Amino acid sequence: MRINCPYCGARGLEEFTYRGDATVKRPESIEESARDAWVDYVYLRDNPAGLHKELWHHGAGCHSWLEVTRNTVTHEITAVELAAKGR
Amino acid sequence: MPILSIRKEGGSVSNLESTSALHGFATPGRYGKRDGEAGVTASERKNLGLATVVARKGQEAALKTAIQGAYGADLPDGSRSAVGKGVRFIGIGPGQWFAVSESLANEALADELATKLQGIASVADHSSGRAVMRIEGPAARDVLAKGLMIDLDPRVFVDGAAATSTLSHMGVLLWRDGNAYDVALFRSVGGSFWGWLRDSGAAFGLEFVTTS
Amino acid sequence: MAGNQINRLSGKGLVDHGKTVSFQFDGEAFSGHPGDTLASALLANGVRLVGRSFKYHRPRGILTAGSEEPNALVELRTGARREPNTRATTIELYDGLDATSQNRWPSLKLDVLSVNQLATPIFGAGFYYKTFMWPAAFWEKLYEPMIRRAAGLGYPSKLSDPDHYEKSNAFCDVLVIGSGAAGLSAALAAAKAGARVILCEEDFELGGRLLAESDEIDGKPAQEWARAAAAELESLPDCRIMRRTTVFGAYDGGVYGAVERVSDHLPVPPEHAPRQRLWRIVAKQSVVCAGGIERPILFGNNDRPGVMLAGAVRTYVNRFGVAPGRTAVVFADNHDALRTATDLAAAGVAVRAIVDPRPQASAAAEQVAGEAGALYIRGGIENVRGALGIKSVRVKDAQGGTKEFDCDLLATSGGWNPALNLTTHLGGKPAWDSALSCLVPGEDLPPGMQVAGAAAGQFSLQACLASGEAAGAEAAKHCGFSPSALRRPAPAQDRAPATPVWYVENSRGKAFVDFQNDVAVSDVKLAAREGFRVPDHVKRYTTLGMATDQGKTSNLNGAAILAEATGRYLGAVGSTTFRPPYTPVALGALAGHHRGKDFRPTRLAPSHRWAEEQGAVFVEVGAWMRALMYPKPGEAAQETVNREVSNTRTNVGVCDVSTLGKIDVQGPDAGELLNRVYINAFAKLPVGKARYGLMLREDGFAMDDGTTARLAEDHFYMTTTTANALKVSQHLEFCQQVLWPELDVQTVSATEQWAQYAVAGPKARKVIEALLDAGQDISNDAFPYMACGKFTVCGGTPARIFRLSFSGELAYEIGVPARYGDALIRAIIKAGAEHGIAPYGTEALGVMRIEKGHAAGPELNGQTTAHDLGLGKMASTKKDFIGRFMGEREALNEAGRAAMVGLKPLNPKTRIASGSHLVKRDAQATGANDEGYVTSMAYSPELETFIALAMLSNGPARMGEVVKVCDPLRGNETLAEVCSAHFVDPEGGRLRV
Repeated sequence: MRINCPYCGARGLEEFTYRGDATVKRPESIEESARDAWVDYVYLRDNPAGLHKELWHHGAGCHSWLEVTRNTVTHEITAVELAAKGR
Repeated sequence: MPILSIRKEGGSVSNLESTSALHGFATPGRYGKRDGEAGVTASERKNLGLATVVARKGQEAALKTAIQGAYGADLPDGSRSAVGKGVRFIGIGPGQWFAVSESLANEALADELATKLQGIASVADHSSGRAVMRIEGPAARDVLAKGLMIDLDPRVFVDGAAATSTLSHMGVLLWRDGNAYDVALFRSVGGSFWGWLRDSGAAFGLEFVTTS
Repeated sequence: MAGNQINRLSGKGLVDHGKTVSFQFDGEAFSGHPGDTLASALLANGVRLVGRSFKYHRPRGILTAGSEEPNALVELRTGARREPNTRATTIELYDGLDATSQNRWPSLKLDVLSVNQLATPIFGAGFYYKTFMWPAAFWEKLYEPMIRRAAGLGYPSKLSDPDHYEKSNAFCDVLVIGSGAAGLSAALAAAKAGARVILCEEDFELGGRLLAESDEIDGKPAQEWARAAAAELESLPDCRIMRRTTVFGAYDGGVYGAVERVSDHLPVPPEHAPRQRLWRIVAKQSVVCAGGIERPILFGNNDRPGVMLAGAVRTYVNRFGVAPGRTAVVFADNHDALRTATDLAAAGVAVRAIVDPRPQASAAAEQVAGEAGALYIRGGIENVRGALGIKSVRVKDAQGGTKEFDCDLLATSGGWNPALNLTTHLGGKPAWDSALSCLVPGEDLPPGMQVAGAAAGQFSLQACLASGEAAGAEAAKHCGFSPSALRRPAPAQDRAPATPVWYVENSRGKAFVDFQNDVAVSDVKLAAREGFRVPDHVKRYTTLGMATDQGKTSNLNGAAILAEATGRYLGAVGSTTFRPPYTPVALGALAGHHRGKDFRPTRLAPSHRWAEEQGAVFVEVGAWMRALMYPKPGEAAQETVNREVSNTRTNVGVCDVSTLGKIDVQGPDAGELLNRVYINAFAKLPVGKARYGLMLREDGFAMDDGTTARLAEDHFYMTTTTANALKVSQHLEFCQQVLWPELDVQTVSATEQWAQYAVAGPKARKVIEALLDAGQDISNDAFPYMACGKFTVCGGTPARIFRLSFSGELAYEIGVPARYGDALIRAIIKAGAEHGIAPYGTEALGVMRIEKGHAAGPELNGQTTAHDLGLGKMASTKKDFIGRFMGEREALNEAGRAAMVGLKPLNPKTRIASGSHLVKRDAQATGANDEGYVTSMAYSPELETFIALAMLSNGPARMGEVVKVCDPLRGNETLAEVCSAHFVDPEGGRLRV
């Protein structure tokens, strides 16, 4: 598999590490009322067959965290963005 | 003993002798195929000033202006280099550059950059943390292809192009300077890098030369 | 006998008749010509029997002329270079080649284990599942050794491979796989359009089937056209031709795996050349022109030596100038195979009969038979005589009459299958083409892939040329080039309807489908009767297609038999899934340079060379080599460690700590970032001070620890454990880029930049003072415990000094730019000589940190929390930090959780093994009674007892209790007293002097 890093260009899978779902958001509250949100954030993940927005780290390249849109069925990658952008 | 000699390098005085990352591994000479011209020549570019320059939040434009003013180089927005007065700036990531200098040797480059870029960039010295190997010769690309998953076709990887990647599982920063390829590797893997280079260059004839 | 190539057709074929090469097979000397394969040379010498089959040890010959060969597997070369299971049909002959048949004992012609075939009923489909289910213990002791002796392939050399292998990477616009009519046309079209082309051919000659057929192209022999096309490609600067290179796999993103057999055709690799080279090819577009694979028609005893695929017969005749037999019968259901009769007759081989199993007579076949001097019979092969090589075949005609033909060659063909394996490696499914009666590449090809020629079901020569050219041009167009107009018009539809015949009903003897795994027609039918309907299931039950050839010549026949047996349409049954590699790839090639000491890169610490000079023993820590200890001559390991510890505690020691991860953290928000990643506060740490910090994962478990120093208001210097350096860097980058991009903070690894030494012991200050340049003060008042600062040492060398201690003694860590690391360790030793300095390794370091109760890797094991490590009170309650919320969950803070304590064995000389489990003093060592486990152990020279750190349920409340330490692996149980983990200097007085 190759990921088209927005900074470095297309690189082999070996240069990246996978983290998982890019859509989960770290809760801002540390109050008890945020318990469900924390459990969701830390443990619960969807496992879609199809498009999946996920985080990859280009550790052997520019050290950017990337938001990769990948089809989990075909491995087709339709979009790659710097995670820092848009945050 | 090293302590006896006093050396002056890049402005700092030390009576400790510096040691190359390839010290004890690579000795000058011809390796592998012995007949004919060496297909690949390798040398270590010693005592370079090496530093990372990372723009502070919202200071990228100011940083570019400062670098342009001080060194006459336009910091590139991608993985390639810009050569200014005495310093080459190589893009290594968004808002991040790797500076290389012969004239501002060793710590002098990071010291100068830190002073000049106060408040607009974070500067870290890497002059001791990296060894820079120059790989050149007609078979240079064939040798590098044995470890590097980067398309080095001269039409694709043009003069000044750069890549942060891995070479035979070792993290490297590579850039093209004319017909030569400079490979910045981590100091601690000097021996492993040399082992790879010696084996990969053997079929073409490898000449390892020392530079002053 | 050398020189006696009885079946060589003089002057015919592409081999170099003018030169002779000698080789051995099973110890007997033979000769062949350059351009031969081992198979063609054996056939030239009249050798038909080349191996025994996997399960039944049946005599086997040569079935094919290519990489699909299921039978003719041999051990190639001898000694350390012996390679089992190489296909004689792909081994390029060289002078001195030495091959041995395999899976036979004591000899190929007399194989005692062929009695296995008498036990055929036992070895039928599902034999392993049915027979060896129970009892489990029988597997290891009885069944497995028995099967291993009886069934199997060749034996690898057990010696280290003396040759080397390497890997390389290539990039191109268009990758063309296969160099037959389609491949050459595709490569020409793409390369002439300006694309960077790589053409891979598994054979040593370009041309594919063009080399094997008596075809003409543009009025010239096809071989000449192939030669000219190859020459033209060679002349194009952007076309790289890779012979002896098999593209074995297609991967995501246009990545292809290929193996180049650089030196397999030579007795030993030339100096500096690898035996094989593994290529990773990244291609924008690919054109698969892998050709076709012929399938046999199955009949009783169809595996006897002398039964050969019809196309392979033509290859031997036309390409290699070898008559695979002297008297032949052709048994085929298609027009293509008739050429075999023609070519055999032209070569002077007597063709007795063309046997046609199709329901309708073929006028064309009848005519060819007439021209070849053969009888034309509609019918099938009923049986074959001759165990070690066929002597005659019995033909049963359509009217039921039988006729016996003496012959030593039976050429058979049931049609051709596209070699579409690469098209399915990413999950694509082939489609059934009812007109061609074969599977063709489906719609869902890997992105950027096209298929042309026979691999696409375009079997005729004109179709191969035209489809190859069109695909090559199309591929170039996708890469942004403008190919010139196509030269060859696509031929009119030449899809002659096929009437495939898969096997002969009621023939005598076993009719084999999968020759390599000895799977017969009856096995597939049995599987169908037992309820198997899906080819992939039948594959696993019968082993059909599971051999090293992945069923290239058998899968479709198997599916057809299954379809018939289950009363279904073959197109609906489908096929098994092909997976990489297309043909077996040597593990050596996959490893490349990375074997032995080059298995992975090694990181050497700045003091490494010096430590080697001192005779240090090293240990791998991640990729690093660290000095484990510095033994003196005659010293036992424990003595060395005791000496290093004692000397550090009484005089002074030095240890290279450069391998710890070091991260430069800069920017106005540096303190804020640290506040959020450590459980304790850092934002208000004064400049010139360092602090110990603990990081958690977001789920509340400990991730890493270390000290972080503040060098300036906006500049921190973090250290991590050696093992977690990369992980922590990545974690910080995640925090900066994903969680809190608003923070103005920059991080960069500084591990490699600094050589850092811990100088520890009561006399440490004296050593550091001797190194310091004049006018700098590191007295306890000026530079107290946990102070840090920038200094110069040894005449102006910039240095960072940290008053940190892992050992528990007065200690300094001194860092200089790494290029001075070697010189500095020598300077430290010199300066410390008068104070009795001695280096200490990681073993002594480990002892001292255990004596001090500092958690390290074994305690930070992913299952412990701040509470468990006794660091719960360190956690700030004023800020959010990674892991705070989840770390506060009740269950992670219960008193009953296993928490860190010290252990002292009641008998001080009793060693406590790490990993031992703890139970109550009188309890049985059972899982139900488990109360914790030992994480680290050491011998404390100061306390003169073994000590240990352990995680014990409710541990801190159980000081003084005696627990049982159980080591069931070694069968040891011992008693130990629970105590504080701070064994030595619990108040830390030594640190602050």
